[in-house]
Amino acid sequence: MASDTTGKPQPATLRVGALDAFIASDGAISLLVVLLGFLCGTVLILAVGRNPANMYAALLQTLTGFDITRGTWNARYIGEWLTASMPLILCGLSMGFAARTGLFNIGAEGQYVMGLTAAQFVALYGPRISGLHWALALLAGLVAGALWGALVGWLKARYSVSEVVATIMLNYVAYFLSRFLTQLIPAANTYRTPAYPETALLKNALFERLTNGSRLNTGLFVVALCVLFYWFVIERTKLGYELRATGFNKEAARCSGIKVTRSITASMAISGGFAGLAGVIVALGSFGYGRVLGGLDNYGFNGIAVALVGNSTAGGTLLSGLLFGMLASAQPLMQSRQIPKEVTWIISGLVVVFISLRAGFRMIAEWRQKRIAEKGGTRDE
Amino acid sequence: MKRSVLALLSIGLALAASSCGKPAAKPAETSNLPTVRLLTDATGIDDKSFNAAAWRGILEFYGDSWENQAKKGKSYDVVTAQTQDMYVPNLKQASDEKYDLIVVTGFTWADALNEVAKQYPNQKYMIVDVDWVPNPNVMQVTFSEHEGSYLVGVAAALKAKADGIKDPKFGFIGGIPDPVITKFEVGYIQGIKSILPEAKIVDYYANDWGKPELAKAQAKNWYDSGVYAIFSAAGGTGNGTIAQAKEYRSQGKNVWAIGVDSDQFADGVYAEGKSAVLTSMLKRVETASKYALEAVKNKAFKAEVVVLDTKSEGVGFSDKNPELGADIVAQVNAAKDKIVKGEIKVVPTYAEAKALPGFPQNLQASDKQ
Repeated sequence: MASDTTGKPQPATLRVGALDAFIASDGAISLLVVLLGFLCGTVLILAVGRNPANMYAALLQTLTGFDITRGTWNARYIGEWLTASMPLILCGLSMGFAARTGLFNIGAEGQYVMGLTAAQFVALYGPRISGLHWALALLAGLVAGALWGALVGWLKARYSVSEVVATIMLNYVAYFLSRFLTQLIPAANTYRTPAYPETALLKNALFERLTNGSRLNTGLFVVALCVLFYWFVIERTKLGYELRATGFNKEAARCSGIKVTRSITASMAISGGFAGLAGVIVALGSFGYGRVLGGLDNYGFNGIAVALVGNSTAGGTLLSGLLFGMLASAQPLMQSRQIPKEVTWIISGLVVVFISLRAGFRMIAEWRQKRIAEKGGTRDE
Repeated sequence: MKRSVLALLSIGLALAASSCGKPAAKPAETSNLPTVRLLTDATGIDDKSFNAAAWRGILEFYGDSWENQAKKGKSYDVVTAQTQDMYVPNLKQASDEKYDLIVVTGFTWADALNEVAKQYPNQKYMIVDVDWVPNPNVMQVTFSEHEGSYLVGVAAALKAKADGIKDPKFGFIGGIPDPVITKFEVGYIQGIKSILPEAKIVDYYANDWGKPELAKAQAKNWYDSGVYAIFSAAGGTGNGTIAQAKEYRSQGKNVWAIGVDSDQFADGVYAEGKSAVLTSMLKRVETASKYALEAVKNKAFKAEVVVLDTKSEGVGFSDKNPELGADIVAQVNAAKDKIVKGEIKVVPTYAEAKALPGFPQNLQASDKQ
């Protein structure tokens, strides 16, 4: 277009309207997308002849513990919401970290499984010293997830193996490896191991008391630390800068002296570490015994959606993890109020689809810029 | 653009506001019948098998049917757990909501129930397929699956004999190996061997209750290698066997699938009145739901272990498929009578079955809990 060459933006374009401000803000768009998702959910519930107020009553109970139908209050529901959100936030961070460094980590599920499995072993065989035992299990899960991720990063950096394919494949390897290893434990049967010793559990007496016996546990601190770590590394460190630079342009990064192989491997390791920790928190926070997995828990896969909606930022992922956690733990409460369980999947699915609106809004913004430039910047909206 | 977004949002708000006034449904007693909540694993009540049967029992108790679930949300309802870590919260939630009875199906619930039942001593629970969570408020119901499986084994072997199949082979597909599924497998094989002592047996465990594609691939493989009938006791996974049998039968191959838990005749229909499901081992989980609900209704609920066998009509076989023929049905019914009278004794564990003459020694069945 000729207008592209007509010069720099005219003063008129600086008059940023509400729409422009809105388009410029990823947070606002995410919010709109979530509202749109719920709007569609509401219409859908009406269409199948149920009462959407029941959905909102279930969401209210999840967020506040207040049961508007029965007029009772129980803080346990808040605790269970946070408990359900923890692995989702961590898996969102896992996906998000890789995405920020130009990698597509579909393997959070496998890294989660490896973390979970390592934690189960440490829980059963680690030193039974209170305080140390679960800390070791966390460390083991972190390392297991990180190694499972680093393997993919190294394959990609060294041999240009597509990380998408490698991570998908390794999910199944992790799943069956976990089943095989866990069944080697003496006295394990086809679906569980013996109970863990008390010292391995992430139980937190204070949280339990505050939330009326929910399974909310010490993992909450881990999640908080991870969110801070994510923000700090990505935004504030040389390492984060190198990782992101490699993601933007590998060759340019190499030319400017960044060790690309190390960079990609480190990215995937950190990404996998987050997912590994999610596995530990579920294994030692929500269960008192090791599981021989009978299917995937899907936290890793759901983490992809969490990161997308959270725009791969630390705060955004935290919020969107809480959103998806809310949907997951509201689901049984909705079913109890005769709202079909599929509604929550449809809402989360739509939210992910609508996120593509972000790109659409950017196109609108560019088009408006162009139009204003064409008119010579004289015309108001 | 701005205006249309606003319009859309205001419609949404109006909708939400208009619906807020109506009172929400709650499980209030509409009669003197008890209220019940069914909790299921991720496969839900549409598994056409185990959970479906428990649900049907509840429907029948209240005089409803699958098509007409009028009292759902008033007297009874169901909550499906998406992941295993939702078992405990779902149990606690149902206990908070004060149902007269809470029903859970399957051994995967045992640990969660054992934990929650202690925290809600006044809440009544019933669990199917488990007999190792003794709590003063839990009724445990188990089945003599080996007896029902024996009957479908007899039926399949008789059909192979009637069709004049030379050297027939029989397959078994299990979900996750455990003592309950072992009862299905060893009962089935004992039934086959009672008619065809030389018959070859193959078995496979999918290690998953919800992966029909695994069963379908295995079934195709086996049918191609001359397996005549496959019995699946694998929840939703078993639907893959039926799908493959349907495909082959509609192409004119003489192979069969055997259904489990519910009568799966309808799932195997591939042409007018023709089904690839020869018979189904009926495990009447509905009997368990009804038994527990009756007990609650009559204030006779006890923390007992109930065993539903052939005699109490807890297990049986389906004679719905016309291709089974009156002759075979009569012979299977004769075997059934003998089991009831105790003349035929079907053993439930692999360890005992291994000691029987000619019983396969290299199965993947497990007696380990």
